[in-house]
Amino acid sequence: MIRLQNVNKDYVGRPALANINLQIGLGEFAFLVGPSGAGKSTLMRLLYREEVPTSGKVLIGGVDITRLEPRQIPLLRRRLGIVFQDYKLLPRQTVFENVSYILRALGVEGDQVIRRVTSALCVVNLEDKADAYPDELSGGEQQRVGIARAIVNGPPVLLADEPTGNLDPQTSLEIVQLLERISQRGTTVLISTHDQFIVNSLRRRVVSLKGGQLISDVDSGVYEMEARA
Amino acid sequence: MRQIRILTQVARETFSGMKRSGWSNWLVIGILAMALTIFGGILQLTMTLKNVVDSWGSQLEISAYLKDGYEARMVAKRLSQLPNISLVEIVPKDVAWQDMQSRFRVASLKNPLPDTLHVRLMRADAVESTANAIRKVNGVEHVRYPLKVANSINRFRHFLEIAGLVLTASLTAATLIVIGNTIHLVIQARHREIEILSLMGVSPWYIRSPLVLQGALYGSLSALLAILNLGAVRLYFDSFLREQLVGFMPLFSQNLEYGMQPTFFALLVLGIVVGAGGSAWTSGRYIKI
Ligand SMILES: Nc1ncnc2c1ncn2[C@@H]1O[C@H](COP(=O)(O)OP(=O)(O)OP(=O)(O)O)[C@@H](O)[C@H]1O
Ligand SMILES: [Mg+2]
Repeated sequence: MIRLQNVNKDYVGRPALANINLQIGLGEFAFLVGPSGAGKSTLMRLLYREEVPTSGKVLIGGVDITRLEPRQIPLLRRRLGIVFQDYKLLPRQTVFENVSYILRALGVEGDQVIRRVTSALCVVNLEDKADAYPDELSGGEQQRVGIARAIVNGPPVLLADEPTGNLDPQTSLEIVQLLERISQRGTTVLISTHDQFIVNSLRRRVVSLKGGQLISDVDSGVYEMEARA
Repeated sequence: MRQIRILTQVARETFSGMKRSGWSNWLVIGILAMALTIFGGILQLTMTLKNVVDSWGSQLEISAYLKDGYEARMVAKRLSQLPNISLVEIVPKDVAWQDMQSRFRVASLKNPLPDTLHVRLMRADAVESTANAIRKVNGVEHVRYPLKVANSINRFRHFLEIAGLVLTASLTAATLIVIGNTIHLVIQARHREIEILSLMGVSPWYIRSPLVLQGALYGSLSALLAILNLGAVRLYFDSFLREQLVGFMPLFSQNLEYGMQPTFFALLVLGIVVGAGGSAWTSGRYIKI
């Protein structure tokens, strides 16, 4: 589903990613780990076409997205659910409006919108907060809204860049377990994090980056912070 | 159906967006209305003056003296088929001669005058070309026309036309600048939201549309206000004219019978087109994927 081939990304001559080859299959669940500055966010940005690689191919569902024309980028992003560390909710819109935004912008019919938003809010267990505004919610709740928004359009791929970066360990674990549940419904999920605790709790596939290089890729792995120890 | 739902959604976004701008909407509309009123007023004056000048032009007369032995009616008929001619008047030589005899004391000779045609034109700038055309008509011996007067009328007319163009251009520029800047400010204020929408896969045109509509609304509302202003000024001006100038300059006031509809129409079209265009351009420039 996600595939990177010989990907390099330089920022003003300095490599942020060097010769990355990576493949994540349909419905797979993987962590992308590494210390700060390792290139995790850069790799994520390549996947949702916020950046283009200096060289190499980035394929999503078999399509090389480095070759997309600008007007095709929104189409790509609608097929990806993206979850951010800072939630990126629309502050002046309610939970319901945030989650339903993309459906309404696409002209989805009213009943359908309600049905799909309700079911997405159900998945993240926030049905009772539909009319709340983001600043009335806790960090964990806001991130769950972010996840509901990401899945409302039924994307085949879900990308989460440090989704638990601003949350306490207990809430972080809940969020990651929620993402794991979503992947069990067939969605490919990639989560970047440097949270050792959650990676080690789940024992799923772990892809490690360091200094822009892919240094290990193991199934049922743990995150060893040898660099910091 | 889907398109209609999207349109309704865009309209909703437009209104909720403008509600957020609050009183500053009215500030923008007020400033624009003021600019449009001033420019529109000057434009109206220019166009009125041009009407006056045009009516001078239509008073211009070309005299064509006919050769002996040609039927004046036939030549007149032929002349009236030339372009830009509004009226051909026949002055038979007998009438002219009687007229002359009654005004001056002339010896009773055999009538030396030719039949004459007086030709009125629709446009002052056609005097020379029409005179040349008339000269070529069979039976015309000699042509006289007020070239100097025609030329100064033409120069004035030309000046007024350029003034009208310059005014329209300034109007466009002022509207563009005010609306473009306003929309730019809105974009800056919503920069974060716009980025979020773009990451969610919302199409740029969908993000821009409410801003384009907002610009069009600014333009059309301020044009309507300007039209109301100008209408009020005109009512006042008319009653003033009636009181002050009754019987004084009937000709002048008749020439001032101007229609304001063209100016109103220009203001409205300009407001909407430039408003929408300016915000489309600004949002196209600052809202990328
Ligand atoms: N826009 C940019 N311009 C220049 N350099 C950049 C830019 N974005 C990232 N970098 C550099 O690229 C490298 C990788 O950054 P990246 O944000 O991908 O790291 P990260 O693994 O996400 O780190 P963190 O865990 O702190 O979020 C860093 O050295 C960073 O300084
Ligand atoms: Mg990062």
